Amino acid sequence: MTETNALIFGDNDFTTEIEKSIDEHYTSVNVFSLKEGAKNSFDLSDDWDELDAKYDVNNCVAFCMLEDMAENIFLTISLRDAFKDLIIVALAEDKESENKLTLAGATRVLPTVETTANVIVEMLVKPIVTKVLHEILYEKSALKIAQIKVQDHTYFDGKYPADIEWSREHGIIVLSIVHEDMSKEFIYSTKAKHHLIKKGDVFVVVGYEQDIKDFEKLLGNKCD
Amino acid sequence: MIKRSIVDFAYYLKTSNNYQATRRFIYNLLENSSYKYKKYFDLFMITLIFISVIILIREVKSDVHEYLRFFSNYVISIIFFIEYILRFWIAGSVSKIIIEQNEHDLMLGDKFQFSHALRDIIRLKLKYIFSFKAIVDLLAILPFFHQLRLLRIFVLFRVFKLFRYAKSIQTFTSVVASKKFEFLTLMIFASIVIFVSSVLIYVMEANNPNSPIETLFEAVYWSIVTISTVGYGDITPATPEGRVVAMFVIVAGIGVFSFTTSLIVTSFTEKLDEIKDLKVIDDIAKIKNFYLICGYGNISREVAKKLVVTNKVIILEEDFSKAEIAKKDGFVVLNYDPGSISSYQKLQINLEDQVKAILCLSNSDVENVYTALTVRSFNKDVFILSILLNKSNKNKLLYAGVNELFYEKELVGVIAKEFVGQPVAFEAIHSLRTNFNGIDVQEILITDRILESFYSVADLENKKYRIVLLGIYKKNKQRFFFNPIDNTRLEIGDYLLVIGNSKFLKEYKQYLNKKGSNDRN
Repeated sequence: MTETNALIFGDNDFTTEIEKSIDEHYTSVNVFSLKEGAKNSFDLSDDWDELDAKYDVNNCVAFCMLEDMAENIFLTISLRDAFKDLIIVALAEDKESENKLTLAGATRVLPTVETTANVIVEMLVKPIVTKVLHEILYEKSALKIAQIKVQDHTYFDGKYPADIEWSREHGIIVLSIVHEDMSKEFIYSTKAKHHLIKKGDVFVVVGYEQDIKDFEKLLGNKCD
Repeated sequence: MIKRSIVDFAYYLKTSNNYQATRRFIYNLLENSSYKYKKYFDLFMITLIFISVIILIREVKSDVHEYLRFFSNYVISIIFFIEYILRFWIAGSVSKIIIEQNEHDLMLGDKFQFSHALRDIIRLKLKYIFSFKAIVDLLAILPFFHQLRLLRIFVLFRVFKLFRYAKSIQTFTSVVASKKFEFLTLMIFASIVIFVSSVLIYVMEANNPNSPIETLFEAVYWSIVTISTVGYGDITPATPEGRVVAMFVIVAGIGVFSFTTSLIVTSFTEKLDEIKDLKVIDDIAKIKNFYLICGYGNISREVAKKLVVTNKVIILEEDFSKAEIAKKDGFVVLNYDPGSISSYQKLQINLEDQVKAILCLSNSDVENVYTALTVRSFNKDVFILSILLNKSNKNKLLYAGVNELFYEKELVGVIAKEFVGQPVAFEAIHSLRTNFNGIDVQEILITDRILESFYSVADLENKKYRIVLLGIYKKNKQRFFFNPIDNTRLEIGDYLLVIGNSKFLKEYKQYLNKKGSNDRN
């Protein structure tokens, strides 16, 4: 990520959790409240000049976290109207507001109800899978998930992903390969089987830190 | 000495497994509507009743074969008699009364008062004998004495036995019974009108030679036929006075008729939801392995929608309007308070045998704590999952006995982090979880069947099925072993975490199980 500042709009429990989680990724994380008189307050009047002057908004990541969905959609559309290149992550309550937020120009929508329901169902139906994936995602175990961009494909020249013994030779498991043209393929799919590894492909791998580092050396730099 | 033997025998019966099991079986068969074999017994009895009635009808104008008559008079009567005796037996426990009386007397330092116990036993059994259903049962046995021709008509009492076996008749009776007072008022009104009009028409018409009404019985008959709006027309008043009375009875008849109709309709409308609920409760008693969702809101709806695809889900919601919404969404909903023990008692849900997990998904931590505590107060083992809305309430929910907590705000934080840090990796995990492109991540439990043929990771041959083994979760160590080496031993209770195409995963699971069965042969 090249963005250095995160702008979080909203002042609630979601904001607190996001602020805590993304803190290490940005040089500054700024929370703005709709409440009048708050330290960093904002309104929905479409006047973003002051904010832009201070943070260079187009190079920031904005988190629209207002709990009132109508206000959140308005905020998203307002930010998108003012800043064409801004990355906007928006909170959606349900499927309906998720669609509206996407139409309003959000780069990524976080549907709370749907995600919560998904995870609850997974916890019940696939408890072990959920536990393991959560530990990897929440970084509670020594296992890491990483995305690695192929800078130098000579090592895998002329090889298909399915022919390589990733787990035995490199101690990692490749979950998916994202081709340069952004078409996403899981390594287990038939299409991926016939795709030669090229420079610019992104590997999503799971493994222990040292194995991932060694693997990175083979391919190039970790995408950050 | 005799008293001592009676008490000893009562204790013997109370502690005899065979006796208690037989008694429980008979009770379930005769009285427990949620017992799976009861419906077969009921069907059998209904069939016997219809056979009796058909034989009776046939007998009116034709000869019936001696075997059929024997079957109706003796075989069916004996079956009904056995049923009567069994019902008499299970109507209250004699041994329990004796033991309770003995313990009561012992506690007070008195001698065992057998007469008191006997009094209670007689009272209990008489209560059964004089109950409406028992009287009908007894009358249905009477055709056994077929030599008494009058008693043959008691075959018809067998029809009344249908009340016992057909639930819809019971429902109708209970609906009508709920409006007892209104029906009584109506009956008194109708009786007064019939009485007055009968006397009036008799006085007006009896001495008129042109009038067909000559006796008081005919007058009463005419009144009833008229007030019921049936009006056969076989008897009609001949005098102007009599016709005035007729007009009065006709108007009253319209009132009685419409009042009766509206009473039945109203009572059905009022009881409709209750009847439906009872039906749902009955059905639920037969369901195994369902998820019980307490509280209906946005999250509950989504969870239920996903779970219901492969599982059974039942929702408990106290708020009527929310319960109605859930019903419209197509779920099985009960308008009961999940935070009340009486709800679970009324619903007759056996948490241990029937419920896979209880999900406290109400939009309030207070309600979720209350529900969890309620469940824990009578069941220590059932798995409870709850959402956490306010982080400060985490410990309260854990103290209340929740096994697994879910804090959605934290999840949003983690997702946001993954998204800004490693968007591609995040998408990959998200896709895996949502079965994107048919690729799925699943857990396969190692059973003794699988273990018969597959001893270590090297034997698994997952590559052949294009399956990636992410790792093994060792149950005994409660630890996940990522990318296990080939000589890792498999044990019963371990879980293989595998990633692959859903179709291949299915085949792979079959392969793991099939090979085991092959080897056994």
